[in-house]
Amino acid sequence: MTVLFAVVIALAAVSSLGVVLSRQTIYSALSLVLTVSMLAVLFLLLNAQFLFAVQLIIYAGAVMVLFVFIVALLSPDAEDRPTLDLRAIIGILGVILVTGLVFIAARNGITYNTNGFHAIQVGSASNPYHTFSFPPDAVNNAGNVQTLASQLFTNYLLPFEITSMLLLVAAIGAVYLTRRSSQ
Amino acid sequence: MLNPNLFPYLLGLSAFLFSVGAMGVLIRRNPIVVFMCIELMLNAANVALVAYGRFLNSQEGQIFALMVIVVAAAEVVVGLALITQIFRLGRELDVDDLSEMKE
Repeated sequence: MTVLFAVVIALAAVSSLGVVLSRQTIYSALSLVLTVSMLAVLFLLLNAQFLFAVQLIIYAGAVMVLFVFIVALLSPDAEDRPTLDLRAIIGILGVILVTGLVFIAARNGITYNTNGFHAIQVGSASNPYHTFSFPPDAVNNAGNVQTLASQLFTNYLLPFEITSMLLLVAAIGAVYLTRRSSQ
Repeated sequence: MLNPNLFPYLLGLSAFLFSVGAMGVLIRRNPIVVFMCIELMLNAANVALVAYGRFLNSQEGQIFALMVIVVAAAEVVVGLALITQIFRLGRELDVDDLSEMKE
């Protein structure tokens, strides 16, 4: 299990570097396909089965096909590899700094408050990860899609409807933007 | 129960993906690659949301990750429409040249 996590995390990190550092746009797109696929596997390992399916269908399916299609349609010129100028060096230092700070913060357990005012203690003191508004493993024992849907269509119905409106606006906007302007 | 020692690595991966995406937005000049890097940053947020949800025994993280995926899909649709329109106008695909929306 831990080995699988290590392999998936390493592949996702390396292929995300491929997105930024690839010389050709199509290689960036293919690296991004690998990244989102690895993140889908990560979601599966984290007990988010529905998100796994959605990630594969929407990202690795629809969005990346759209990207590859646009790259093939426009065939942008081969771009030189980003040179190691001051911008790139500052960027690399920023990546190392941000990743290291977040990792150290999470390592020392200060990224979330286990005895905050809204945390309900339901786990044992020896396992502080069992402290929140849900009983331990109740979420993970029930069917993921079932519990997700029951929350999505009750507590989070308004955000759900707003996202449907957002998709409609995006579709209309895309049609408006790509229309042929024939005066 | 999942090993709690795994959590810092997941959050570290999230921070790594986000900062790599931000670096890509800053140093790449091809707008298609810039959009891919924005996708990378949104995915990094999803990893953090799902990891927190898993370790706090909460399902809200997955719901918000779902919302992020929908927003990312809408953003890609509009962005790629803009890129095709820029290409149709005969402009070079370079974000340094496209610093203003006017002609």
